[in-house]
Amino acid sequence: MQWLTLFQKELLESWRNYKWIWFPLVLIVLAIMDPISSYYMPLIIESVGGLPDGAVMEIPTPLPREVLMMSLGQIGSIGILVIVLISMGTIAGERKSGVAELILVKPVAHSHYITAKFVAIMTMVWISFFLAMVGSWYYTNLLFGEISFISLLYVIFFYGLWLMFVVSIVVFLNTLFKNAGIIAFLSIIIVLSMSVLTQIFGRFITWSPNNISTYIHEYLITQEVSTDLIMTAIITVVLSAILIMASFFTFEKRD
Amino acid sequence: MDVFAEINWGLVAPLIIINFIIMIFALVDWIKAEETNGPKLLWLPIILFLSLIGPVLYFVIGRRQY
Repeated sequence: MQWLTLFQKELLESWRNYKWIWFPLVLIVLAIMDPISSYYMPLIIESVGGLPDGAVMEIPTPLPREVLMMSLGQIGSIGILVIVLISMGTIAGERKSGVAELILVKPVAHSHYITAKFVAIMTMVWISFFLAMVGSWYYTNLLFGEISFISLLYVIFFYGLWLMFVVSIVVFLNTLFKNAGIIAFLSIIIVLSMSVLTQIFGRFITWSPNNISTYIHEYLITQEVSTDLIMTAIITVVLSAILIMASFFTFEKRD
Repeated sequence: MDVFAEINWGLVAPLIIINFIIMIFALVDWIKAEETNGPKLLWLPIILFLSLIGPVLYFVIGRRQY
């Protein structure tokens, strides 16, 4: 029951902050911008391109799965940035302002406090991501060609795990630092350096969480969930769980 | 201006409407806010003229949380 109270407090707070309004809408815009703009790309180039008369430019129409991957790419770059920004102060802000002390004076388990926050953020991230990808899927079907809803659900499920991993990094850093700016900066650095490491040592780290979108693309081509995708998903979940549990310890030590 | 005629506005409308909704919410919050991070007046053009990025910036760093 205690956990539920903390969880409801989080939901109420992000509702009052308008996070529940602007965050889903921003993700939806990010996801549907690419299908629309690539559909109109020939028209845009024609009207502003200033090509010499008679010049012919053939722009191949992207495949439906490529359009879906473009949307994932947008969410994976700008979307991740926004996710980091909305969660950067979730614990740090309360510690700075003293709200955390007010809550933890009562017999509140530190693990409840952290998981309530984590689950509250994930609820918002997953619902928004789902809506955004359904939007992208709708436009893809309308403008480029068919992708089955089942494939879309697979894409949402597996990429959702990656988003969860990013949030667990941010939550963990929240228990280490009090400055939201530093937390956001370090989260981005960690995600970026992980992707660099994955690229350099690609032959050895086949199941790095950063590879998940590569395997999702493979899934869209072959329509088969590969062992690589499943193993990467498992590794991603395990790493997120480790980060969350590690944050119980660091959080208890700090206060 | 025939480009405008070729665009199917039914397709693009959701994008414009969503941008507009986010802007309205940012504006309402800006009007109600007593204080913001940084000069309050500065946020008005940011919200109004930087589409999508402006309102998001306002919500993330402009709003006084506590």
